[in-house]
Amino acid sequence: MTTTTANTGHACAPGDYKSDLKPIWCPGCGDFGVLQCVYRALAAIGREAHEIAFVSGIGCSSRIPGYTTAYGFNSVHGRALPIAQGIKAANPDLLVLAAGGDGDGFSIGGGHLPHAVRRNMDITYIVMDNQIYGLTKGQLSPTSRHGRKTVTSPYGNLEEPVNPLMYVLAYGAPFVAQGTPADMPGLTAVIEEGIRYPGFAFVNVQSPCVTYGSEDQMIKAQKEILQPLSKMGHDAANRIAAMDLAQHYGKDLYTGVFYRNPVPPATYEALVRGLQASKQAGALPRERILDLFLQREPQDEEDGGSET
Amino acid sequence: MSKDLVIGMAGSGGDGIISAGESLIAAVALEGYHAIMTKSFGSQIRGGESSCRVRISTRPVLNPGGTLDAAVALNWDDFLKFGAELPVGGNTVVIYEAKSGVAPDKLPLVGVAPAEAIAVPIAELAKQTAGTDRAKNTVVLGLLAGWFGINGDAIVAGIRKRLAKKGVKVGDAAERSFKAGMTWAAEHPLAHELRLDPPEGQRGPKLLTDGNDMCAAAAIFAGCQFFGGYPITPSSEIMQFMSREIWKYGGALLQAEDEIAGVGAALGASFAGKKAMTATSGPGMSLKTEIIGLATIAELPLVIVNVQRGGPSTGMPTKSEQADLFQAAFSAHGDVVRPVLAPTTVADTFRITVDAFNIAERYQTPVIVLSDQEIAQRKETVDPIDTSKFRLEERRRPTAAEVEDYKRFRNTDSGISPVSHPGMPGGNYLGSGIEHNEHGDPTASGVMHARMNDKRFRKLEPLRHERNLFLVEGDPGAQLGLVSWGSSAGVCREVLVHAQAEGLRVKLLVPYLLYPVVEETYREFFASVRAGLVVEQSHQGQLYRILRMMIDVPACVQPFCRSGANPFRPREIVARLRELTLAMQRHGSNTRQPQE
Repeated sequence: MTTTTANTGHACAPGDYKSDLKPIWCPGCGDFGVLQCVYRALAAIGREAHEIAFVSGIGCSSRIPGYTTAYGFNSVHGRALPIAQGIKAANPDLLVLAAGGDGDGFSIGGGHLPHAVRRNMDITYIVMDNQIYGLTKGQLSPTSRHGRKTVTSPYGNLEEPVNPLMYVLAYGAPFVAQGTPADMPGLTAVIEEGIRYPGFAFVNVQSPCVTYGSEDQMIKAQKEILQPLSKMGHDAANRIAAMDLAQHYGKDLYTGVFYRNPVPPATYEALVRGLQASKQAGALPRERILDLFLQREPQDEEDGGSET
Repeated sequence: MSKDLVIGMAGSGGDGIISAGESLIAAVALEGYHAIMTKSFGSQIRGGESSCRVRISTRPVLNPGGTLDAAVALNWDDFLKFGAELPVGGNTVVIYEAKSGVAPDKLPLVGVAPAEAIAVPIAELAKQTAGTDRAKNTVVLGLLAGWFGINGDAIVAGIRKRLAKKGVKVGDAAERSFKAGMTWAAEHPLAHELRLDPPEGQRGPKLLTDGNDMCAAAAIFAGCQFFGGYPITPSSEIMQFMSREIWKYGGALLQAEDEIAGVGAALGASFAGKKAMTATSGPGMSLKTEIIGLATIAELPLVIVNVQRGGPSTGMPTKSEQADLFQAAFSAHGDVVRPVLAPTTVADTFRITVDAFNIAERYQTPVIVLSDQEIAQRKETVDPIDTSKFRLEERRRPTAAEVEDYKRFRNTDSGISPVSHPGMPGGNYLGSGIEHNEHGDPTASGVMHARMNDKRFRKLEPLRHERNLFLVEGDPGAQLGLVSWGSSAGVCREVLVHAQAEGLRVKLLVPYLLYPVVEETYREFFASVRAGLVVEQSHQGQLYRILRMMIDVPACVQPFCRSGANPFRPREIVARLRELTLAMQRHGSNTRQPQE
């Protein structure tokens, strides 16, 4: 199974994917770094911008498609994945990216994630996880840690955060990685590898919110604590080992590929193409589809049936 | 002799009442009769009561009819649960299971003395001929064929085909049961003759299907390449049909994790350049509303079918109602106008679905098709449709020159802009739910927002003058006027025939396009009207209310409406027309009724 995202031989530079729109993010926002890494990963892959569909929901990070030259769809809150899947199923030749924040992906859109995983379309889903609702000015998010004080938790967060790495692994995603703009080459590498992986790829990015985040979440702090999985002897083909490491989400910052299924399972779109090919022969011409409802003498079809 | 027969049957879940109805309608369709079959169930999937109504006519039929001509009760408990769905009157012949022990003059029908009541040993005949009382439904078919003069060979062939997998012996037994019923009928002639006249008009083969399958087939014909949806009664058959057929035409389908994802995926497919649809019912429509709004502002074609059922909330999932018109027209937030279409029969579901795709493509807009459970799940004979008469439209793509300085949302005179899709070189743009300028770039400018709202309204302006999505029947100068939509319109078309037979001058306006409101059409129709009714199956009369809001409706036009479940019967509307005529005569025909 080759990927539809292979290099087409065009020489593309990161700047080719940069649009004229000036990003509306706070100075120092982690999302600037993510955007740069996306440009670099796309340049390395070399698909032309018009062959890329980049879908997002709503939130600071969901503005990202507009800052690229790809076909972008900045949709509604939480619905990037359903729309991305419709695009991919309708035209499997496209390189499809989905992106958004932790609120978009794990809260309002959280119900879509397990199903996107099990359908396994060749889509790369990048979540800029900053543990806060930034666009709406600093409310709790599903990944905010217990006890955190925000404008909607002035006495501290009563809830425990979700662990997205853990549950995406449990859903059966064939590619799960984490990165941070504190390590740009590392983040570029996991985004590129996610895109190249022929199946659903999940990349969680610890992208700090400079306005509402706490000191220990900033780039400087991240640089001191991040631990590349590649240096920890982790076997990315081992899902159980990946889940062990994923349990450290929210405590330790591991970066790189947690899990990569060495035998990529069939994608939804490949199965769709198979069905289209195998069923085509049985089709009535479109203009004669109503013949399906035509009442015929039952005997016509029954000859040699129950009579013999 | 009879030109029109309405048969109602009820029994327990395992009695095979529905398959008896299916056999009957298939056989009469082959004979060239026109027919409609509706089914009704209790809430259980198995073991509960079930019933069906079959209306057979020598002429085209547009609704399931009123009071039964023949009622079949395999047991009285089940029959009585259907109440007004199986109305027995003074002209009804009641056929029932003798084992019930009920005397013909002691039927458990309150306040009704049927024309004739016949106790038939149905279970006994089944046991004698097939060795099991599971053949009761086949005995009933034999009785009906015998009494009504329906060709038994066609029914037997149909039953044999259905039972083919169970082996020849089962087929032989069924034929014996059927013949036993016919023989019993021959030996016990009805006092009230119910034999059917031969069919009139076009004899050839007919289509036999329900509104849901017709809708799905029309979508395939229109070029639909993607279906995204979530199962919900009473629309699921649309997705089921698609899941069998769409692959054959190079399309794809996604059964989504919820209603939102279903419509989201369909919108994604449309963004990717494909004709796409979703189908649902009221609760699903509520969930899809946000994405439909996104389709409006992103200016993407999308067809959304809402097979209406009783609401609000879970309401009455298996019963018909026409109470989602407000939702269809007004559920969006922001300033939005989006087309709403409604079929009135299984037959015109084809045309309306094709129209919906054409309008969606032409205007780059979501289009809502308001079907209803009555049409969607009833089987109806349909004369063959000449598909070569339909023109299929495609969205306007950018020309090579337009791609040079591409403006996805160019503010053209018509308001319709060229639309590209991923994969098209040079057409790259940002689709969005956020307000945007002509290039598609996000904006917070109030001036731009007003301009874009204006553009989105302007492009749909031609629909406000669309004259082809209406049906006008009857006497054009009549002072009595009926307006009706959806399945209720099928009842009103028959009302016209009965009313004219009584000498009442009446006319009927059926809008297939419910929204936006085409003012001229209503104004012209109301011009001669001195007493009018807007007939629809909802508590508030939603079309009536929308007309009152949008146009100058004469005070003499009043709602005639009630909540769902039981379709209107032609006779009740004729009776109301008679009253209105008398009132007009009393007041002088030029006096309009005072404001309500």
